[in-house]
Amino acid sequence: MKGAPPVLYRPGTVGEAVRLLAQPDAEPLAGGTDLVPALRAGAPRPRAIVSLRRVLELRVRGVGADALTVGAAVTYTELAEWSPAPGLAAVARCVGSLQVRNAGTVGGALGSANPRGDLLTFLTAADAQVLLCSARGPRVASVAEFLAGGRRRGDLVTAVRLPPARGPQVFFKIGGRQAAYPALVSCAVVVDRLTGRVGAAVGGIATAPLRVTAAEEFAASEVDWSARGAFRGSAQAVARRFGELVSAAARQAPAQLPAGQRDPVDYRCHAVGVLAARALARCLAAPAQPSMPVGVGA
Amino acid sequence: MTDSSWRPAAGVGAAVLRPDGPAKVSGTFPFAGDLAVPGMLHARTLRSPHARARIRGIDASAAARLPGVAAVVTAADVPGLATYGLIVADQPVFAAEEARYAGEPVAAVAAVDAATARRALAAIRVDYEPLPPVTDPELAMAPDAEPLYPPDGVHGQFSHGNIYREIDLRHGDDPDRVGPVVVEDTYVIGMQDQAFLAPEAALVVPGADGGVDITTATQWLHSDREQIAACLGLPEEKVRLTLGGVGGAFGGREDVTLQIHGALLALAAGAPVRIAYDRTESFLGHPHRHPARMWFRHSATRDGDLVAVQARIILDGGAYASSSQAVLGNSVTHAAGPYRVPNAHLYGAAVRTNNPPCGAMRGFGVPQVTIGHEAQMDRLADALGMDPVELRARNAIAPGDRLPTGAPMPAPMPARELIELVAARPLPPPRDPAADPHGLALPGGRGAGADPARVRRGVGYALGIKNLMFSEGFDDDATARARLELGPDGRPRAWVHSACAEVGQGFVTIAGQIARTELGVEEVVLAPADTGVGSAGSTSASRQTWMSGGAVRGACVAVADRLLARVARRLGLPAPVIEAPRRVLSLRCGEIVGPEVGVRVPLAEALAEGPIDAEYTHHHRRTEPLDADGQGDAHVAFAAAAHRAVVDVDLDLGLVRVVQMTLAQDCGTVVNPLALTGQVEGGTAQGLGLAVMEELVTVDGIVTNPTFHGYLLPTAADVPALDFVAVTYPQPDAPYGVKGVGEAPTGTATPAVLAAIRAAVGRDLRFVPVRPADLVDLAAGTGGVDRGPGGREPADA
Ligand SMILES: Cc1cc2nc3c(=O)[nH]c(=O)nc-3n(C[C@H](O)[C@H](O)[C@H](O)COP(=O)(O)OP(=O)(O)OC[C@H]3O[C@@H](n4cnc5c(N)ncnc54)[C@H](O)[C@@H]3O)c2cc1C
Repeated sequence: MKGAPPVLYRPGTVGEAVRLLAQPDAEPLAGGTDLVPALRAGAPRPRAIVSLRRVLELRVRGVGADALTVGAAVTYTELAEWSPAPGLAAVARCVGSLQVRNAGTVGGALGSANPRGDLLTFLTAADAQVLLCSARGPRVASVAEFLAGGRRRGDLVTAVRLPPARGPQVFFKIGGRQAAYPALVSCAVVVDRLTGRVGAAVGGIATAPLRVTAAEEFAASEVDWSARGAFRGSAQAVARRFGELVSAAARQAPAQLPAGQRDPVDYRCHAVGVLAARALARCLAAPAQPSMPVGVGA
Repeated sequence: MTDSSWRPAAGVGAAVLRPDGPAKVSGTFPFAGDLAVPGMLHARTLRSPHARARIRGIDASAAARLPGVAAVVTAADVPGLATYGLIVADQPVFAAEEARYAGEPVAAVAAVDAATARRALAAIRVDYEPLPPVTDPELAMAPDAEPLYPPDGVHGQFSHGNIYREIDLRHGDDPDRVGPVVVEDTYVIGMQDQAFLAPEAALVVPGADGGVDITTATQWLHSDREQIAACLGLPEEKVRLTLGGVGGAFGGREDVTLQIHGALLALAAGAPVRIAYDRTESFLGHPHRHPARMWFRHSATRDGDLVAVQARIILDGGAYASSSQAVLGNSVTHAAGPYRVPNAHLYGAAVRTNNPPCGAMRGFGVPQVTIGHEAQMDRLADALGMDPVELRARNAIAPGDRLPTGAPMPAPMPARELIELVAARPLPPPRDPAADPHGLALPGGRGAGADPARVRRGVGYALGIKNLMFSEGFDDDATARARLELGPDGRPRAWVHSACAEVGQGFVTIAGQIARTELGVEEVVLAPADTGVGSAGSTSASRQTWMSGGAVRGACVAVADRLLARVARRLGLPAPVIEAPRRVLSLRCGEIVGPEVGVRVPLAEALAEGPIDAEYTHHHRRTEPLDADGQGDAHVAFAAAAHRAVVDVDLDLGLVRVVQMTLAQDCGTVVNPLALTGQVEGGTAQGLGLAVMEELVTVDGIVTNPTFHGYLLPTAADVPALDFVAVTYPQPDAPYGVKGVGEAPTGTATPAVLAAIRAAVGRDLRFVPVRPADLVDLAAGTGGVDRGPGGREPADA
């Protein structure tokens, strides 16, 4: 840790938190699973730390007719059991260890904006919106806008909003071991049977999750989701082609993350294709009950 | 010795629980990092960010002036020897003119709290002139390579230039002979770290006599003391060490790290100093397992009898010698493995580079070559069309067979029995999807969504040997003291004092078992390990149960002899009985009994006159240095192990899950079955880690993953339960017939897992730890040949 010890604030409302965050060099603290290790490793200390633990408004989860809302201070453990959001639950179950899931939050994942963050891949595929609040007032940004623009000084993430689950949602990730690993690459596929839309994104390829639009369009055109998953080619062939398109998009992605000794770029591009093909195959195999959300996979 | 038919309940052979177990499990055990005294200062270390840089100047004046800073020390403040080292003192206490690896200490500060100490580090100005680092050992060892260390720095200690040691072992009538069936390849092993869980820490208190009292987590108190005293310019008796709680070591605490820095600061500040590393510093602060590049050529007759082995083994020793010379001795002499090899030409070199220093780690030079010879045996089996188990069994070394050093293999050596045993154990059932609906047991766990149809199972074997104790003429003796006395409650008890470092292996348990066995008491008090007693030698080389166990036993036997003589004297027994009281008297269950002479004296009564003390130093049989051809009786003894691994591989992603590990090991007499299980399970897990995930990655000499996010260790989900068979022929020249057990399974676990992966994917594996990228066909055009920065491509591949 560098610098004098920061002042710790414990606001009870979003309004108070936002006012506190308006002072220069103030940083929100949620579960602390990213912030505390960073400070320990010598990251510059902010002058003020605004703990969000007592802000109960940030812990709500809401189910509306056309949107789900998840408060910024909702933890992975809470998400893992939340039946209205099977995709979010699948992501949450894959994050870290039990201890990290108990502490880590949605707002913290967005605040850290780690290019390999599991949640970000899913939120990107799901067309989620980030709800923000600052001293200037509330605003809404798409996940992509939020990640591209970076968190502005004084911004508090209050919640994310995403369409309700109207079809299968799958999240896959791989890393260096069987459990409790940071993602090397990840892939999320979100099917909306109502609109016939397929959302897909991959993490670990570029500095932000990559939307794979060509693959999305292919999947949407190949499969008649309203007809309960009927499709023109064989399921296997559709999934394979989908994976190829995802790999190709990954290879051409701008702002690629640098190669690691244990994970060359060509392997990552290959691996997201494999995960994408598996994810779509799972979606195709899922029971076609538009009224009943299905979270398959992890 | 006591009547062998009688064993106390908690004596040798019993599954006694660790005395420190409850405290460790409940979190009250004080590790070295937990030590604190009122008014102590907090110390931090400044490290070179450059793999190689000239130091033009260090200005610490601003740091020293900061409020709350008590002392700043650099190379200029070292009063004694400027360098230290386990074998050769070539490592500067602080880099002075040149920093030779990224992470090398340059200065240290002590301040009122850790935050102030960190601020002080930031205020130290070091004027570096970065130099191009030499990170490829092949380049560093070239005849015309620029020396990375002043050639006159350590006279005549190294072979030449940047080579710490070179061995050219020639064995048999025709060392370079090549038999009719030949396999040949190059293998590259990455840098494994000991990754013990409790980072380095020490508490140093300046003494009234100008000396220091140091409590630290180490593997060898007396070696630390010798090196610390030399650098402080103090006589050894003024440097007193006590062992702090050690949270794992695995070789990583054999070298001095922060001890001298802490002592310099405590003496400069005149106040107690706590010095401790965080996780990243721990990864940078201690030497690692040597990365290796190894070429092997194995040849055999068409019937499958080995004709010869040739090998060239290059170990990257990094910037300083540490134990590289001894590690190389092991690598070369074990390079042909546990096989009868009539001819061998085994060349090895340990080389200085600007990579992080490498030294001792569990297995000490043997795991690397075991990976090589076992990969070769599988490929030879393929070339011969032979079963890999049969080929190993056919060539397995037996007692009396000549090792490549020319020395006969000592007995017992059940190598053949082990590989046959392990092959006969039941294989795991095929995966049951009903029992695993979420795919947790598939490669990659639930997250990877593996398709069971694209998962292939493989089975692999490995057989290996590991030398026990120090080799090549080194007399690594061990001393212990024992006393039989009456405790405060008036009951007899034993008191044992040894400087043996308990690093988790269980000496504190077996010392009590031995004292109970020899002295017939229930209660044993183990004094803290410190330098107030003679050296126990290092807790390494699988040696402490044999060496310090032998010392404790010897001291206890001497105590018992004296007590029996005292009783015989007091009872007026005849002179021959007094001289050899064990002929008629024995100690059992708290009594001295002699049925022939009608004696039955309670221990408490015999001790009323006063306690009885004895000290004993245990030596192993002498060994010889290697001659110019690498010949000589260099090793005291060997332990053998055989592993079978069963893995599942996701063929599309190259992810591996180890399904089953089976081990048969040559264990000698089992002193404590629980402790034995702990050692072999841990050794297996550490070897598995090297096979599939553990690698400290360096790019141009800079470690890129010095955290537990970046350096992955196996979790409980990665290590299956171990199916273990102990083979227990007693070792004739060891106390109770023990053998060291901690290292042998580390060496064989890695190649067994690799062999299983090879069997599953049908590809030869040349890079360890194996990477998923090496197991799959990457899309055309990318070819899978890019090995990323740092290039792990073997030089001659
Ligand atoms: C051992 C370990 C394993 C992990 N494994 C995984 C994994 O498998 N997958 C994965 O994706 N992540 C993993 N993580 C990372 C981490 O848990 C997540 O990213 C988590 O979501 C961070 O949330 P937090 O509440 O702990 O954030 P904090 O650490 O409290 O904050 C992180 C950052 O976000 C800011 N912030 C917090 N809340 C808000 C808000 N409401 N508005 C604006 N900014 C905010 C903070 O100021 C800080 O900069 C792991 C971490 C650890 C320590």
